Amino acid sequence: MIVRLVALALALAASAATMRAQEVDRTLPSQLSAPTRATLERLIDSARVTGLPVDPLYSKVREGVFRGADEPRVLAAVQRLTRDLGDARSALGDSAGGEEIAAGANALRAGLHPADLSRLRESRGRRPDHPLTVALVVLADLATRGVPPAMAAASVNELVARNVSDGSLLSFRQNVERDLVGGRSAAAALDARTRAMIDERRP
Amino acid sequence: MSEPDDPRWLDEVAGELRREVTVRPAWRARLLDDVARAARPSARDMVDDPFGDDERALDNGPRRWSITVRPVAGLAAASLLVALGAGVMYMAMGSRSGANPSQRVAQVRSSTASPQLVSRAPAATDREVVRFELSAPRASHVALVGSFNEWNPVATPLSRDPASGKWVVSLRLPPGRHVYAFVVDGDVTADPSAPRAADDDFGSPSSVVLVSSPGT
Repeated sequence: MIVRLVALALALAASAATMRAQEVDRTLPSQLSAPTRATLERLIDSARVTGLPVDPLYSKVREGVFRGADEPRVLAAVQRLTRDLGDARSALGDSAGGEEIAAGANALRAGLHPADLSRLRESRGRRPDHPLTVALVVLADLATRGVPPAMAAASVNELVARNVSDGSLLSFRQNVERDLVGGRSAAAALDARTRAMIDERRP
Repeated sequence: MSEPDDPRWLDEVAGELRREVTVRPAWRARLLDDVARAARPSARDMVDDPFGDDERALDNGPRRWSITVRPVAGLAAASLLVALGAGVMYMAMGSRSGANPSQRVAQVRSSTASPQLVSRAPAATDREVVRFELSAPRASHVALVGSFNEWNPVATPLSRDPASGKWVVSLRLPPGRHVYAFVVDGDVTADPSAPRAADDDFGSPSSVVLVSSPGT
């Protein structure tokens, strides 16, 4: 009977661990060589020790393996992401959450400066509990689509300072994208869409 | 009896064994009386054989199940179950709240963004149903890869929606920022209708989906 109870307990523990693992698989792919895995583990452990989110690093490794990148390239990508995560955390402040830091790192990668992220944090003003994740995602997207980063930062900054909702920020991104696809210049699209959104909020 | 190498030896032995043994009628009657008077196995007899392996337990009415647990072994089993329960609760709470509440992302409400939040998950879980769709009329196979499925190209295939002709799949995703891409007949492509991720370290861009956390 005891044996059966222990077996049941172990089975339940295994299934619970599997449920957890489905969300975040914090293992390194076996396709990588042992030396590369060891280097990555050291890198990720050091990120963890400094309080950076490590899930994006594991995801980056798996993405590299999926895309058939060679090991030096995977290592370089993880090193760069680690550096960007650290810079984003410095710019956004110690209270920034993991998702904000990851989105901030992505914005830096798109060409934004750490100072742009810091200004965004200041613009958030009296809503320190409101994450900047969506604003940072929108910023990175605009910069990736060819909008000059400084110009994108100025517009998003203005909207965040006026407490524009996350949903409105996403609509703003879509509208700008539509304008760009339609042939409008980035400056004209940003200016028009920013003004329209501010006008919408006037009583 | 003949020698063992004699061919008739086996027949002689078999014949001897087949011969009926005579039992005195008085002995037979006494034996049957004893069997008839014999008591049925008690519950205590069954406890010693809780899983019914003993022949005594087989043909005596409904089977009784009882368990005897030695104190030390019982204490160990109870401790193990309590620890397991605590572990499961911890993991469940960890997946709901995360290590840091501030890590939760903002709620995304957009009726036009794609992929969009198509429905709210049941209260028992903090996952949201997110619908991914792609217009690729000439594709023969489309799959979804991303941080939520370990970039596994066989984990999440899309199916063609007969009504719209688009490739679609709905997933329950935990709150957070997820990076993903489509695999269209082997080629990796970003979602044309979603925000892009800038970190195209491996040659082609990816997309971003933000999943809100309930209550935010």
